[in-house]
This record gives sequence, C-alpha cells and structure tokens, in this order.
Amino acid sequence: MTHAAVSQRLSAYLDRELDRSERTAVDAHLATCAVCRRDLAELGRVKTLLGALPDLEPPAAVFAGARARLERPAGMVGPAAEWLRSAFRRPAVAAAAALLAVLLIAVPMAKGRIDRLQAANVGVEVYIREHALLSVTDPFADPAYLGLLISDANVALVGQRRTPEEGR
Amino acid sequence: MRSLAGGVVAMLLLLAARPGSAGLRTGAPARPLPDPAAVLRTMLRAPALIDYEGTKVISTVRGRTAETVTMLEAYKRLGKLRLEFLSPESVSGRLVVDDGATSWQYEPSMHLVVSGPSFISGSGRPDRADEILRGYGVRILGREEVIGRETVVLGLAAGRAGSHRRVWIDEATGVPLRTEERDARGEIVFVSYFSRIGYSLNLPPALFQFRQPAGARAVGFHVTGDPVASRSELLARARPPLSVPPLLLGRYHFREGRIAHHGAFSAAVATYSDWISVLTVFQTPSSRMAFPEVGDPVTAGGRSARFLDLGYFRVILWQHGGTNYAVLGNVPGTVLLQAAGEVSAARPR
Repeated sequence: MTHAAVSQRLSAYLDRELDRSERTAVDAHLATCAVCRRDLAELGRVKTLLGALPDLEPPAAVFAGARARLERPAGMVGPAAEWLRSAFRRPAVAAAAALLAVLLIAVPMAKGRIDRLQAANVGVEVYIREHALLSVTDPFADPAYLGLLISDANVALVGQRRTPEEGR
Repeated sequence: MRSLAGGVVAMLLLLAARPGSAGLRTGAPARPLPDPAAVLRTMLRAPALIDYEGTKVISTVRGRTAETVTMLEAYKRLGKLRLEFLSPESVSGRLVVDDGATSWQYEPSMHLVVSGPSFISGSGRPDRADEILRGYGVRILGREEVIGRETVVLGLAAGRAGSHRRVWIDEATGVPLRTEERDARGEIVFVSYFSRIGYSLNLPPALFQFRQPAGARAVGFHVTGDPVASRSELLARARPPLSVPPLLLGRYHFREGRIAHHGAFSAAVATYSDWISVLTVFQTPSSRMAFPEVGDPVTAGGRSARFLDLGYFRVILWQHGGTNYAVLGNVPGTVLLQAAGEVSAARPR
C-alpha cells in the first residue's frame, strides 16, 4: 500500500474500521514510515481531545423554545439575540457549541494535513511525468524509456506505485 | 509525399543491399568514418522515414537499485509508437499505444486504461544537427556491429551541461540501436538496446490504434494549465513570487511555463532548454504540499536537499522560504545541483 493510500486510511485505522487485510497493510507501512507514525499519533491526540469533551444533549426545551421563536413573524432580531444569549448561559448548550467549534476547526485542519501529505506523495510523480512529457524534444531521449517513466508515474498517480525490481 | 516515399524506398534498398555487413567488412579496405554532422542528420531524419519493430532491453541504475525492463517496441512514421512490456513481472502485460496525438496505457493488473498526451516526436528535423554540434562535444568513435547491423558509434561529451553518452546509430537507417550513459566515474548508469529489430516499409496502422478492453476503468491524465511563453506572464500568474531566472547553467534558456494541477497538488512549472535537452523547475507553496522525503540527502545552494536518481533523469528537491522546489533533468547529478543552486539564489527576497 502506498504512502498516500495509508495516509487516507489512518483515521479509519484508528477507529478500527479497516478490514483485516487493509489493517495488516497499514501496520506494515507504519513499521517503516516515521511520517505516518507521527500523523497517527497526532490523529490519536485529536481523537482523545474530542473524546474528553462532555457528551451532553441539550434539553428538549431549548429546541421547543427556539422553534416557537423562529415561527414568530420576521423583524424579531432583538428577541432572537436575547434567546441566543440566554441559551449560551446554559452549560449543556455551551458545551455543544464548544464541541461544534472544535469540530469546525479540527476537521479542516486534519483534511488540510491529509491533502498536503497526498500532494507530497503525488508531487514527485507529477514532476517525473511532466518532465518526461517535456523531454520529447530531446533528440536523444529514448521513447521506450519515456513510455516506461510516464506509465510508472500514471500507475503511482492512481495510488499503486510500482517498485523497481532488481535486474538480471 | 513523393519525396518521403522516395526516401523510404531508398532506405529500404540500402537495407537490402547490406545483409551481414560485418562479413562484407572482413578483408575489405577500411572505409573512412563519416562526418558527425552527416550521421546526426541521418538519425534526426529517421523518425519521418523509417518504420520498425523489435525487442528492446532497458537497464537503469536507480541509486542502489538496478532494473532491467524488456519490451516489444514498434514505431511507425511519423510519430506512432506501441510498447508491449514483457518483463519484469511488475510491468508484464502493460501496453502503451501512442498515435502521435494521444497516448493510452492499459494496466492489466488493475484493468485500468490511462489516457494522456502523446510523448512522441515524429517529425524529421535534420536541421537540428547543427544545434547539437554547437552545444555538445560530438565525436565519431568508430564502427561496430550491433545485432548484425553496421553502426556508427557517436560519443557525446558532457560539457557544462549534458551527459556522457554513446549512441550506436544504424548507418543505413539512422535508428539508434544502442544507447549508453555513464556517470562521472565512467560507470554505466543507463543502457537501452535492441536485441532484435526488423524494418518495414509500412507497419499496419491497426497496431497503433488503441482498443479499450471491455469493462476497463478509464482515467485521463492530461497536462493541466495553459502554457505561457514568457517569464513575466508566469510570474504574474503565480502566488507566492517565483524564482524564474532567465538562464540556467549559462545555456538553458527559459522556454515556457505553466501552473500544473493534480487533485490538491499544484505547482508552477518553468521549462528550460538548451535546444537539445530539457531542465524543468517546479515550485509549490509548502502550505499546499508536505516535503517529499524521497531519495538521498544532499546539499544544494547551501541548503539541505534530496537527490532522486531515476537512472536517466535526476531530481533535486529542497524547501526554502515556504516553497518546495524541484529541478529535473537528464544531466549529471553535480550539474543538476549547480542548476538547483542557481534557482535557489534567484529566489525573490
């Protein structure tokens, strides 16, 4: 399994959502990849942080009251603001809002990190592929070797990097 | 068209008249070696005149790993190519067909078809011989027989740029039958040779038409981003500011630029050429891409960098001031490090 493929599966690995073969492949990659081990540890810390937050349900009265106020005619900005203020005074609602805020920050951060890792993984292949395509103008470039480089890069870009085999 | 057909017929008559040339040479007075310019012109004219099919073996040394790949290669003028990979097992069954406009790759293990731009230049450009002679130290090293065909051995000296190469060119057809590249220590790092070749007046066009296997998944990887022909336009398009010197290594001139994309990845691409080989510089904001930990550690322009040797192409990667840089070229590693140093030094303050 490639570095990019493992990066995409770290969260599922942490949540024990992978099947046995995928889990074995990720274990094997983690044994050799310090970057993935570090990312896994970071994801674990985020999960622990989220898990430590109180798992509270806002009282039903909050939604009943909110619905009643929303159904009132427009132009009631003052009362709506008053409701928000009173709602945030309640510990359960405040905790739910804090959880939402953490999720809104953590999810894009985690996604951004995964995107950066994926870009690092495909970047070298994109470089090789683009350079090989541009080398067409070199009169001494071997077309068969360009074909090998480009096709290897294509395979890597769909997540299945080929490992060169020892020659004869 | 008539002159093209005439050229082909003349070539084939020459081929027919030269069976077992090594045997004919025995005892015959040594013929004078041809002029390098004439050999280059024959080689550069060949893609427009000659059809061939043969078995090719490519061996590369990639860092500490050597790999040998064998394939069937068929070429049809003007710029059509078919590659059927035979070994090793990791590529066995792979098919690449290029019709001069589009290339297709069928990967049997994944039942996948990848299409993309053509990577073949089929036009005969004998006029480029003068450019090559101006830019490189070219010598005729002698004549040798390769798979029963008489070849002229051309030596290309690595100067300030370029690399040490030897090319065995079929004297009758101009097709390179063997290419070798050596590193600074004189060790071979790349060999490509035909173990068998057959020339043809006209290979069947159907060989160069791709038919998608039933049920195969199809993916298109085409070059993204419109090319720009000037540095100023590339600089205007990119954020953050780029390092795009007008000249690298004193002879590679800026040729074109582009912003390339692949998923979340994007990079500013600047291409340099000495009218023969190509250097490519990629720049990606570090905020968009973690630094790829590939290759071996080296120092480029006084900074920690990574060196990835693909046997024929080499890559230098480094990070500076919030940008990931990569320079690629088929020049010796020391020369590529020098180019990387020049890119690094031209970084906007």
